[in-house]
Amino acid sequence: MVTQHGIKLAVHLITNHFGNLVGVILSLSRLSDLFCSGIDIEILCVQKVCENLFSHGSLTLDQLIRFTELTKDQVKNSLLVLVQHNCCQAFVSAPEDDDDDADRLRVRTQYLVLFDNIIHRLRFPKFLETVTRTLDEECVELLDGLLRDGRLTLKQMVDRASQGKGKCFMMPVIENAVETKVVREILCKLLTARLVERCPAPEPVVSTSFKETTTRKRGAKSAKIFEAPETLEQRVLEAAVPGDAIRYSFTADMGSNADRETNSDDEQMISVEENTAKEEEILWRANFEEFVRHLRHKALIENIRTQHDDGTATVLSAVLEATKTVEKKVKLENSVPLSLDTITAEVMKTDTGRTMTMDRIRASLSQLGCSQRMIVDDAYSIDLKKIIERARNEEVESIVLKRYGRDAYRMFRLLSKDIGFHDTDQIAASTLVEKKEAPKLLYKLWKDNYLYMEKVVATGVKQITILMWKVNKPLLLEHVLDEMYHAALNLSLRMAFEQEKDEELLNVPKDKLKEPGPLQKKYKRLLNVWLLLGSSLMKLDEALMLFHDF
Amino acid sequence: MSQLQGSSSLKRKRQDLALVSGSMTDGERVLYNLIHSKKDMGIWTGDMKRQTNLPDSIVKKSLKLLQSKNLIKEVVNIQNKGRKHYMAAEFEPSKEITGGDWYTQGSLDTDFINLVKEVCLKCIFRQKVATRDGVLEWSRKSGVFTVEVTTQQIDEILRALVLDDEIEEVKSTGLGDFSSVPVGRICYRCKSKGGNRGEHKPGAMASIPCGVCPRINFCTPDGIISPRTCVYYQKWLDF
Repeated sequence: MVTQHGIKLAVHLITNHFGNLVGVILSLSRLSDLFCSGIDIEILCVQKVCENLFSHGSLTLDQLIRFTELTKDQVKNSLLVLVQHNCCQAFVSAPEDDDDDADRLRVRTQYLVLFDNIIHRLRFPKFLETVTRTLDEECVELLDGLLRDGRLTLKQMVDRASQGKGKCFMMPVIENAVETKVVREILCKLLTARLVERCPAPEPVVSTSFKETTTRKRGAKSAKIFEAPETLEQRVLEAAVPGDAIRYSFTADMGSNADRETNSDDEQMISVEENTAKEEEILWRANFEEFVRHLRHKALIENIRTQHDDGTATVLSAVLEATKTVEKKVKLENSVPLSLDTITAEVMKTDTGRTMTMDRIRASLSQLGCSQRMIVDDAYSIDLKKIIERARNEEVESIVLKRYGRDAYRMFRLLSKDIGFHDTDQIAASTLVEKKEAPKLLYKLWKDNYLYMEKVVATGVKQITILMWKVNKPLLLEHVLDEMYHAALNLSLRMAFEQEKDEELLNVPKDKLKEPGPLQKKYKRLLNVWLLLGSSLMKLDEALMLFHDF
Repeated sequence: MSQLQGSSSLKRKRQDLALVSGSMTDGERVLYNLIHSKKDMGIWTGDMKRQTNLPDSIVKKSLKLLQSKNLIKEVVNIQNKGRKHYMAAEFEPSKEITGGDWYTQGSLDTDFINLVKEVCLKCIFRQKVATRDGVLEWSRKSGVFTVEVTTQQIDEILRALVLDDEIEEVKSTGLGDFSSVPVGRICYRCKSKGGNRGEHKPGAMASIPCGVCPRINFCTPDGIISPRTCVYYQKWLDF
């Protein structure tokens, strides 16, 4: 679901990261310093290319040149930047049956902008934090490199690591060169955790002529929350991603880069050296999907912790940990079924779960919605979708409470719990709101797209128009998500504005800022502002993920 | 607060209709019979004129006389507060006229509602888990209300409290806190564990100005309303 303000935010992020490089967003500053040289000229170009891809869907190079009115080189370079940072995917549209010869000869490479991956740039600090929590410092460094540079080969990673060391100790680079073996080991660790993956095929062949309604149902991608029809983006991504065996494997002999077919006989007689050389050429990138899964699990567990207790959260966390490698997609609706024995064993493995008895685990499972009746073959499966929906509802309700007050909050909750329509008087009576006030509040909510209303004309002695109200969840969620993107964009813009306003502070030597006086006061204010805006943006981003990615 | 003073006596005065009509003029009798026939629904003066075809002056005069004889009374109709509504003195206005149990003099008695809410919450908080009947009994014993509170009223209050997210409806499991409640019975418990009423952790959107901004739809990066010029931001970031 890409909304209008979502696109605006994505364009803003791209402009920001690949544009004015003074580090506009403090919290994201670690990403921007990479692009200090060389790419400055391309600022506008990247933004323009990106904007055009958003507004037109997928485009060919020629079309892009025409729409953006840039030179071929500029467009090419911009595309390269976007591809390097996984924000753009090229694909070749398969020839169709009714194409003539000229059509068949035409270059069909098209470029598609990847909205999700652009928005993910906002949450790189969260991704790094995930690695800090689960793996060691070296892994964090390697991943940091991957996030900064987008895609790297093993050789590039070794170079990066060596340079870093050289800088740290102020010694000649050569003496501190990090061995390939060491970097290889670190990369292997990340690969085992599936936090890094091979880059997808550069130009998969995809048939663009498809009817959205008749596509075959593929469990993984088609069953999205709102049952969105399979989009071109999903098809392209699916075609580009190599199979699991290749995706997380280090050895090169399974195929050169990604899933290109290599079945010739020569292939089998590759010497060890050649193999190593090939390995060094494989491009790696951070696996966003796995990071999103980690964050989803974290959100699920935290929600359960606040709703129930630590014990229940421990049980859920153990179940998710045990089944994470079998999960087929991020937006999993029900956890993978596990027997009570397996769950108990998993819970006992954790620090907090060691004290839990079988009875407590069973009680926790029942709190998680696994009642005895629903259990088939002693396999427990937790309804994860329900937890997510609950969290979404809470977020929306808290907006309603703050914006429209407690009476409106009660009315909104009444309508959101029920699927059907309610008339005005009925709502006023059930929520104990003054009959005159109720229509006013309902109208306000309706005007801001929080409610859905239909007029019913009843003909009796007199003709009366009755207003029927309800909450239309899919529409509402889309609207709230759009508002959230808007808010995130605003926070981001305000951060840039605050920075601009107090730009002179950055040129003042640090000693002066320590002396009491108006300058120090101003500096302290700026720090506070940054802290508040930055933390609000990070918190809002969690809500964005809740509504879009989970 | 009038319901607290015990004004809702439901007894009806019996009056001998024949005795009453003896001392009336024709106009008065016609009007009285019409008003009386409407029972607890009462009737609007406009409808009286239309149905009796009596001239305006006579209707006005007769209504005044009937009222002075305590045969009819004026009531407020919740549907249309501006219209004069009359009812025979022996009837109590129906729910359609008053708006229900929670209305006095045609307006919602919020003080009374809040009081009952408070009492119910206190009861549930003390007992940890309580059924509707338990709450009713507790409130009766405590003697907080001077008027009779019905089962239906308690039900309505509990439902409103659930919508307020103050309490939640649960089914008794018969274990732990539920030991005093039969298994499967619907009961209520407080949402906040520490008893800090109505303090919800605000969501991510609700804690920033844009989340509650009434002008968000007019806000654009370069517009008159923009994050650069926003007054709400100015206030929020005023350290």
